[in-house]
Amino acid sequence: MTLTAWLPLGLYVAAAVAYFIHFSRRDIRAGRAATALLGSAVLAHTFLIGMQTMEAGYAPLVGTTAAVSAFVWLLGLAYLYVELTSDERAMGVFVTLLLATLAVLPAMNPAIDPRPALLRSPLFTLHVLSLLFAYASFALAFVLGITYVLLFKEIKAKHLGFFYARLPSLQTLDVMNGRAVIVGWLFLTCGLVIGGIWAAQIHTVPDPRAQAMKVGDPKILFAILSWGMYSFALFARRAIGWSGRRAAWLSTVGFLLVLLNFLPVGYFLTRSHNF
Amino acid sequence: MKLVAVGVSHRTAPVELREAVDFSRDGFDAALAALATRRVARETVVVSTCNRAEIYAAADSDTVADACARFIAEYHGLPWESLAPHVFSLRGPEAARHLFRVTAGLDSLVVGEPQILGQVKEAFAAASGVRRTGALMNRLFNTAFTVGKRVRSETGLGEGAVSVSYAAIALAKKIFRDLKGLNVLILGAGEMAELTGVHLQAQHVRQITIASRTLASAEALAAQLGGSAVPWSSLPSALGSADIVVTATGATEPVLTRARIEEAMRPRRGRPLFVIDIALPRDVEASAGNLDDVFLYNLDDLQTIVQENMARRTAELDRAERIVGEELERFTSWMQSREIVPTVVALRQRFETIRQSELQRLEPKLASLPPDARARVDEITHLIIEKLLLTPTEQLKSINDETMAVAYADAVNKLFSLGEEGRQLAAKRATEGEADDADAIAARAPSDRAKPPGRS
Repeated sequence: MTLTAWLPLGLYVAAAVAYFIHFSRRDIRAGRAATALLGSAVLAHTFLIGMQTMEAGYAPLVGTTAAVSAFVWLLGLAYLYVELTSDERAMGVFVTLLLATLAVLPAMNPAIDPRPALLRSPLFTLHVLSLLFAYASFALAFVLGITYVLLFKEIKAKHLGFFYARLPSLQTLDVMNGRAVIVGWLFLTCGLVIGGIWAAQIHTVPDPRAQAMKVGDPKILFAILSWGMYSFALFARRAIGWSGRRAAWLSTVGFLLVLLNFLPVGYFLTRSHNF
Repeated sequence: MKLVAVGVSHRTAPVELREAVDFSRDGFDAALAALATRRVARETVVVSTCNRAEIYAAADSDTVADACARFIAEYHGLPWESLAPHVFSLRGPEAARHLFRVTAGLDSLVVGEPQILGQVKEAFAAASGVRRTGALMNRLFNTAFTVGKRVRSETGLGEGAVSVSYAAIALAKKIFRDLKGLNVLILGAGEMAELTGVHLQAQHVRQITIASRTLASAEALAAQLGGSAVPWSSLPSALGSADIVVTATGATEPVLTRARIEEAMRPRRGRPLFVIDIALPRDVEASAGNLDDVFLYNLDDLQTIVQENMARRTAELDRAERIVGEELERFTSWMQSREIVPTVVALRQRFETIRQSELQRLEPKLASLPPDARARVDEITHLIIEKLLLTPTEQLKSINDETMAVAYADAVNKLFSLGEEGRQLAAKRATEGEADDADAIAARAPSDRAKPPGRS
């Protein structure tokens, strides 16, 4: 079991290294190897999650570590989809850096937490999966935003160098960022609504965590904050033309909120979501 | 078989002479046919562009280089004396190195320019189309194409625009996804405006609008570029709908002030504007470049980019030359092993013939043996021969020097009186161009040891 637990991490790290070599040296063979490595990392990860599901009898989504694992898996899948459809590999180095870093958490603690009676609802799985997919989209939007700003600065400063030679055009990055935010926002909205319905259903359960499912709980508060943030980003792009650099900054702040909510809040602060 | 490269290039000859010896004018086929009727060489490829006219040839005779050079003069009706001082002539690995460098764009006037790979491919296709290429030329040119592709994909030699117009277009492509749906506004109707307009038109932009102080000249340029002209007074609205603005007026004061651009940007809601100011003195107030979503580049900026790109290309030269070296090494070792292959094959055949004839001679005595033991005899004799030949074969094939290879081949031929067999093989190879066949026999030989005939 330990090997299967560490294997995805190893492959994510290898993919990150290959993407880095591809990005810095612009070596097409390293790029192909990177895609293949990431593909096998996601496969190995799929295998691991499948094993865990069979072993436990339920999807391993209980607790923050398991959620991080599922998030990494979804982001890897989503990125591979974007790479294969857009034929653009430049973002890989940033995405795999995030993947390799986050994959450390589940690799260090591969145990599957027992599922409390509270979570035995299909709504729970739907809630977690939509939110994780939303986060994966936001992660992509964040990477696209960062690369946009890097390229923007080079062009504006009239110093065409490293990123100019490696990244796609500003407009491409901006359009992809816009799409990622829309997809993320849709799933975030779904996830929150499902969460709300489910919280109302379990309100009478005598579990302190069910009692703590209130807007004031840090985890829920941050989720609503990020929803507000991304709603504003969407509105600003459509109504007042905040595209490009401003949209990039908004998706950066939004993802920082998401990450903050995901890790520190999820591990230490929440009283409602500490499974 | 000897390989030579003979010809003139921009390094050795002035442009008038290069024009006079351009083979592409009448088509490669005519030149190749003329070469064939003169029986200059067994394999020939003619490469001819505006910067070079070169003949690559493979022949057994030592005079092939001279014959090719004289052919260039005669074919174009030039006196030999006027061409001779400008002709370069390279042999063996140096000829191959030259072709690899040419194909990679290392020998081009603008280092790294990408057209040359296609031109060499055309030249090779023309020659192989009329069956003027054989094993040597096929291998040589295919390696050259590999070099060209590797240099393009593994180095930055061909990257970065090296002219101001292309630098501007490359920048536009980094700001907008592609230029097809874009509106271009050109201010001014002079020569620079026209030149840039032609370049942008070639990118299939959606609409070119021209504004000039005199409407008539704007209309003239618009007609030429297939765009539309607007009077100077409607500049603000034209500015509002433009994605790329090229300014090239003769005005002494800025025609686009920061305030004017700022005004035009307000209703655009974040849609970027790329302003290319190629006028001298400048047409656009420099501080306009500080506005959000405005990318302002003037002639100096573009020239700086061009210079940086030139410097970067130079920095990539080493990597490109290394790729040329690697592929050259592979090619020359293939060429040398080719020299020795007929000898190796003949030697092995001689040994096998002796073995077979000895077995035949002993047939009456062996007849009494059980089939199993007979198979053993066959196997053992085969193994003995393989073991005896293993070291000499390896040694012969590892010779890395052409003259040494020939000397060794001669020695082996003499020691084992292989003359007849060797000659037959060489003749067969020459007529059929089936070098790969002999290569395959020689390469297969060692693995036969694992499968003696009696056991298989």
